[in-house]
Amino acid sequence: MKIWSPTELSSQETDFNYSDTREQMDGSVGPMRVLVTGGSGLVGRAIERVVKKEGEEREGEEWIFLSSKEANLMSAEETRAAFEKHRPTHVIHLAAMVGGLFRNMRQNLDFWRNNVFINDNVLQAAHEFGVVKVVSCLSTCIFPDKTTYPIDETMIHNGPPHESNFGYAFAKRMIDVQNRAYFQQYGLRYTAVIPTNVFGPHDNFNIEDGHVLPGLIHKTYLAKSETHVTFWEDLEPHLSSVHMVNLFHVFVCIIEEGKPLQVWGSGRALRQFIYSLDLARLFLWVLREYDEVEPIILSVGEEDELTVKDAVDAVVEAFGFEGEVIYDTSKSDGQIKKTANNAKLRKYLPDFKFTPFKQAVKETCDWFAANYDTARK
Amino acid sequence: LSVCQMNGSVGPMRVLVTGGSGLVGRAIERVVKEEGGGREGEEWIFLSSKDANLVSAEETRAVFQKHRPTHVIHLAAMVGGLYKNMRQNLDFWRNNMHINDNVLHTSQEFGVVKVVSCLSTCVFPDKTTYPIDETMHNGAPHESNYGYAYAKRMIDVHNRALFQQYGLKYTAVIPTNMFGPHDNYNIEDGHVMPGLIHKTYLAKKEGKPLQVWGSGRALRQFIYSLDLSRLFLWVLREYDEVEPIILSVGEEDELTVKDAVDAVAEEFGFEGDVIYDTSKSDGQIKKTANNAKLRKYLPDFKFTPFKQAVQETCDWFAANHDSARK
Repeated sequence: MKIWSPTELSSQETDFNYSDTREQMDGSVGPMRVLVTGGSGLVGRAIERVVKKEGEEREGEEWIFLSSKEANLMSAEETRAAFEKHRPTHVIHLAAMVGGLFRNMRQNLDFWRNNVFINDNVLQAAHEFGVVKVVSCLSTCIFPDKTTYPIDETMIHNGPPHESNFGYAFAKRMIDVQNRAYFQQYGLRYTAVIPTNVFGPHDNFNIEDGHVLPGLIHKTYLAKSETHVTFWEDLEPHLSSVHMVNLFHVFVCIIEEGKPLQVWGSGRALRQFIYSLDLARLFLWVLREYDEVEPIILSVGEEDELTVKDAVDAVVEAFGFEGEVIYDTSKSDGQIKKTANNAKLRKYLPDFKFTPFKQAVKETCDWFAANYDTARK
Repeated sequence: LSVCQMNGSVGPMRVLVTGGSGLVGRAIERVVKEEGGGREGEEWIFLSSKDANLVSAEETRAVFQKHRPTHVIHLAAMVGGLYKNMRQNLDFWRNNMHINDNVLHTSQEFGVVKVVSCLSTCVFPDKTTYPIDETMHNGAPHESNYGYAYAKRMIDVHNRALFQQYGLKYTAVIPTNMFGPHDNYNIEDGHVMPGLIHKTYLAKKEGKPLQVWGSGRALRQFIYSLDLSRLFLWVLREYDEVEPIILSVGEEDELTVKDAVDAVAEEFGFEGDVIYDTSKSDGQIKKTANNAKLRKYLPDFKFTPFKQAVQETCDWFAANHDSARK
């Protein structure tokens, strides 16, 4: 016996006939109408680019990129209104309340409740509106704190997550629980992906609150720019009193002084970085082809794990930064290693080529420099 | 009205008991009203689903608005037997998740000093070492009722988050196999003790053999609902931790299903055949819970002797057969 709340009951009565999503005679579903929640974020923008500019969109498909301006997904009513308006056949669910380490630590309750509501609202509205498939987005940070490595898809629930972000972690884990329950009770194949460290254009480049690669990119950009600012500020007073030859010496000395790049930690922590555009291409494959309810890790392999120092070197090279790099070892490295196993992905797509790291970093740094003013930071 | 007094104690409690008409709720009501469990100036409100549908945030808020509790004992849940759970994991997950969030969040909004929620040993990891203790997040629960199990576990997550973000000490208890008057005696859907009581009553009345599912060798720790409610009151008043506490008899008092069958048969004076249908599953053979934490706090707490508790429950069932839930 299901306990229906009054609002659920009324929407069931009026919204049951979705002829757009009926299966065609050959078993395939008609043209997709895909709703992407969190559409204006790092991954959402990458999917939008892949769909619109790389020919991934198919004939007759419609792609809708939702942002928090259009609907507050913490509200069941607003979520339902968005589904009512767009009538999607498929959903890519990226929207979440996210934040850096310190904010998570202070607000575990808010991260738990808000994300549980967002996720329940989206999944339940999808179910009520006859959405054929939802692909949600988990994260490697939700895995058990105490675990063996490499981690794989079967280990998500094997122990408590890290204390610092247990609210966020449990909310994400419950997406998987709810997916399995939709399959068990209704045969729906809603699923999820688990990316490792994502980076790319349109990220949140906030240094305090952001993740490692966007934080590095922002810091390196500033360290480099401040070198130039310093140059002009220091040179100007000398112009009237210095001979031309001496001017050249001053110029060289000031450029070499510059601001150093301060990196938190030793640089030895290992990470698997995945470029947002590669992730987006894989997301589309999951949406169209991946048929399991169990989630799938989307990542480069263990052999492509890089140190934070490797990332620093790539960013420094991309910006042409020539100042000093200082590793502040008084700051935590976080986990030294948290290798994820991408064997399941490789079983399905043995030939998928990830964008070479240096190229992906260069594209991201170029984007950041070109869009500095409007980039989220 | 729930403000701390100058000496740090809270004024008279106004306690809202959700799920107040169920097995545990009725036992608490009896202890409070007939055994002096309630104190001077206290007010106790026993809610049932007729008063409010706690799946709805609005109805939950309305009932808190009406009663303005200082404390909450949260027993309400969507519950069911094995087969119903297996068919409806989604409903068990969603409905209980909403009930629990509504009660905990509304309690926080209304300045409730303390909420004591009710978990269950069935929410523990399926693969685990025994005896189990209060750490429940070390693995996935059993496949048959993971929806219900995760919803209950998330009460503990919510409690810890409330403490971390607001310093509130909402907590939870973990009983083992409860039994007593006012239970759900449905044979298909109920738990082992009430199911046995109902079956034995019918077997005696109809002069038929008593059919017991399983081999009778499965071991359980049974706790009488009246003992549980006395302990619930202690947790509400005295237990100061956020981490939940197992409320159970010790491992030394573990009994087999056959022990339970014998006790029930003796109470009803049933003298017919007892048949153990070994084609039916025993469920888990042993799922011992460790009550060391309870014993650390209350080394002298005396549980009602099992046979006496069974006698009282059987007598109640016989006297209230027509109106009992089944």
